[in-house]
Amino acid sequence: MIGREGVTGLFACAASLVLFWLTLGLEKNPLVPIGPGFYPRLVLGATAVLGFALFVADLLRQRARPRAGSAAPAERLNYLLVALTFAVFGIYVLLLPLLGYRVATFLFVLCCCFLLEPPRGVALWLRGPVLAAATTLATYFTFEDYLAVLLPRGSWTGF
Amino acid sequence: MYGLLWDAIVNLVQLKYLLPLVIGTAAGVVGGALPGVTITMTIILVLPFTFGLDPLQGLATMTGVYVGGCAGGLVTACLIGIPGTPSAIATTFDGFPMARNGQPGRALWLGTWASCIGGLLGAIFLIGATVPLARFALEFGPWEFFALFVFALSMVAGLVESSLAKGLLSGALGLIVTVLGNDPVMGHTRLTLGIPMLEGGIDFLPVLIGVFAFAQIMTDVERMGGAARFGDAVDRSLSLAVSHVRVIWEILSRPFLLLWSSLVGVVIGVLPAIGGSAANMLAYDQAKKFSRHPERFGKGTPEGIIASESSNNANVGGSLVTIMAFGIPGDAVTAVMLGALTIHGIQSGPLFISQNTTLAYGMFAAYLLAHPIMVAIMWVGSRWMLRVTTVPKAVLFPVVLVLCVVGAYALNNTMSNVYVLLSFGVLGYAMVKFGFPLAPFILGVILGDQIEINLVRAIMTDANPWLFLTRPISGVLIAASVASVVFALWQHRRHQKRLAQSADGDADF
Repeated sequence: MIGREGVTGLFACAASLVLFWLTLGLEKNPLVPIGPGFYPRLVLGATAVLGFALFVADLLRQRARPRAGSAAPAERLNYLLVALTFAVFGIYVLLLPLLGYRVATFLFVLCCCFLLEPPRGVALWLRGPVLAAATTLATYFTFEDYLAVLLPRGSWTGF
Repeated sequence: MYGLLWDAIVNLVQLKYLLPLVIGTAAGVVGGALPGVTITMTIILVLPFTFGLDPLQGLATMTGVYVGGCAGGLVTACLIGIPGTPSAIATTFDGFPMARNGQPGRALWLGTWASCIGGLLGAIFLIGATVPLARFALEFGPWEFFALFVFALSMVAGLVESSLAKGLLSGALGLIVTVLGNDPVMGHTRLTLGIPMLEGGIDFLPVLIGVFAFAQIMTDVERMGGAARFGDAVDRSLSLAVSHVRVIWEILSRPFLLLWSSLVGVVIGVLPAIGGSAANMLAYDQAKKFSRHPERFGKGTPEGIIASESSNNANVGGSLVTIMAFGIPGDAVTAVMLGALTIHGIQSGPLFISQNTTLAYGMFAAYLLAHPIMVAIMWVGSRWMLRVTTVPKAVLFPVVLVLCVVGAYALNNTMSNVYVLLSFGVLGYAMVKFGFPLAPFILGVILGDQIEINLVRAIMTDANPWLFLTRPISGVLIAASVASVVFALWQHRRHQKRLAQSADGDADF
């Protein structure tokens, strides 16, 4: 039975070997005789060996470890909330060039705030839009006007 | 040297430099006081605001954040028993019991003044050691730099107690990030995997922001819903009044403890990517071992607070030495500072001081001045800061994530850095969940290009690979790299053996 570390090690080993194989196609440069693939091959070779070592170590540990008895109950972690937060952030990043910074940021802060603490009562319902508007306006004016950073405009909104 | 330092101090007290320093220090104190917001995250949030400033203004801001953050962590550590930053963990052990024993002001101000004095001792080391070390580093050729960077990486990877293989693999993954895209020697395109965005390589700042911000935020999000808010524990009737003369005397009457803890902090700071979290724990442990009354530790003894706080602020001085003399970040905070230097077109390393004398001495001055400013901010705002810690995470995290996006985007006004931020955010969180340490990964990303450039330069100068071992400094550093890995391996086996023995012992009962 392979554990989580073993799978990670195998994945790292396989990915490194694929990249290693890709470096074999790199052309040599007459100015740098060892070529642009020399150092990547060293790094990828070492990564493959380390990945394989992690896999072997995990395999040996799994064999040596007696079957666990009654372990202490683990802390319940809210992975669904993590996945949803990543999803909301991913959608925000995708929408930024389409909706523009101001619209996308307002929607992101609003959704994220409601997602992390679902509103119960008028105060929490109000908090989301106020926070979203304040964050959007404060960052927009600070960066555009004061720090001369041209924040993304939306190709759909032109805004 | 002292003339240059004096000029730098006079220059820095101008409003255009003093204001960013004060704002940075205040931001650091508040960020440090907020549980769940580390100094690294605070400096990441402040970074985009420094893009429009001149280099000294930007670095003064960041130095302020660093100094303020180290001290800010002690506010919540002492008053509500939750360390604001990992570098204040050991402060909690005695600070909180002292506050519970009815002396919250004494606990808070012992920590604040110990931070200030420890930080100033760190400054003496920073100012005294950086120039000679940078001069020594000027003797280095590509062989020595290659060996030095490999040594830094091997040491950081070897410090991972749980698994040496994971530490080394994490560092190697960081190096892989730098081989994607382009070859830093000739600019040859390589390993783009068909993704056009990779053709220019990957900037390390979005990687660093993504990895650290998401690893921190998402591990907090996992626990949302169940835990009580920090604010629930805040007693707003606390009196923080105290005799400052008595508190300072209480610290200065323990000179050995103060000097030793500061030295521990400085040494840990010089070692790459270990940071204040290790410094304060180690100093606390040392203070307990040297104390005539070790039984008083954990019950509100001033020694515990002094040791922890003086070491974590002295640590900053040590970290700044390595970045200024060798171009190696001492921890994640100095890694961001290194990135800020790069954005302004400044190369850190042995030539940094000779080529950017005003900037280097400006940093020394900023570090010196940040300490009294930190004390003033604590004096004005410690009670107010306690209320800031009641900010709900549902409010804090969306704002932090927006600032991360702006920070990544503003690096060169392209969305590609935001995509890098998202990708490495996912990777950073996955690494934390799979038990991979982030420090070697980040160091790999930062040093990768330099390792390659120096390796290729060395081989192009002389193809004889034995030169890496036969040149004295390079040979010593390579031997030290091997020794650090062997030592880590030995330490890991001993740790495992002890765990097995204690498990057997438990079974007998």
